[in-house]
Amino acid sequence: MYKYISIALLLAFSMPAAAANVAKEIKLDSKVASMHKAGVGPVIFPHALHEKTYKCNDCHPKIFKDKHGDNDISMKKNMDGQYCGSPNCHNSQKAFALFNCSKCHTEVTGKPK
Amino acid sequence: MKASSKKTLKHALLFSLSVFLGLAYTGSIDTASAAQKAKSTDAAQKSDKEAASSTSTVPKLDPSDPTSVIYLDTSGKPAGVGDPNRPPSVAYQAGKGWHPAALSVAGLPKDRYGLIDWAKLVREKLIKPRFSLDPNDEEMEPLQMDILIPAKGDYVNDVIYPHEMHTYWLKCEVCHPKIFIPAKGQNNMTMVGIVQGQWCGRCHGKVSFPLTDCNRCHVSPKKKAAGN
Repeated sequence: MYKYISIALLLAFSMPAAAANVAKEIKLDSKVASMHKAGVGPVIFPHALHEKTYKCNDCHPKIFKDKHGDNDISMKKNMDGQYCGSPNCHNSQKAFALFNCSKCHTEVTGKPK
Repeated sequence: MKASSKKTLKHALLFSLSVFLGLAYTGSIDTASAAQKAKSTDAAQKSDKEAASSTSTVPKLDPSDPTSVIYLDTSGKPAGVGDPNRPPSVAYQAGKGWHPAALSVAGLPKDRYGLIDWAKLVREKLIKPRFSLDPNDEEMEPLQMDILIPAKGDYVNDVIYPHEMHTYWLKCEVCHPKIFIPAKGQNNMTMVGIVQGQWCGRCHGKVSFPLTDCNRCHVSPKKKAAGN
């Protein structure tokens, strides 16, 4: 009996902790040199914002691999319908379009570094 | 005793028979009236359908045709009846131009964002716009000249700018030298600037197709962009 209660309690406490663990912002800067050439800075991906609308398995692991750094995201791939630019995402009418640089990129100056 | 019981049974049977017959009779009347009603409603519906089919003709969508139902009201419903002697609406009186809502149902080619693909319209020779409003203007042939514009970022395809489609609509002076310096490599274009309304963004996203479809301009594969 106590065993079950303890398991239930453990689950109840661990679930929000797990949610908090993934709901952080992710900085995408592996291609920062190229970004600077185009006059933009790294991307900050707001995980919490996406979690409001989507479930984990809407994106993981089909569109994005779970592990940070395993996804070789590029604007070219986004344009071609992968990653952020997947058919129901930022390459469709369901979300803002890919050309809104400053919606994702930081340091959007337009002046190549 | 026996006879009276027989009598009562007889009465009961007779009564029940009369009740049954009466029920059957009224029931038959009811069903008959219902059938009649149904028949009449059917007829009414049929006549309605006939009327509808007679009024709804195949819509013509040619602005040069005065019987065309191209004239739609703001909610997109046909405001014109196709009779030029009976101006049906303010829209009709305001002008005989293409109405945007009419354009959308005209079956013109569209891009994947649902916007009319004017370039495709030109290429497929579906429209033949007048060169200039001024009849004295000399027609200029479209300039066959593609410009490769390298993308600033390493992971984006380069742009091939077609002079041809642009000079189909526009004169040289529309863009040169105010928006674009007429020398290759002299315009330090960036996507950020374009989004903010500079260079291509002077028209694209305002009167020309928007920037949503990256691959409509970024067409020339870059090594790094292709190689991963």
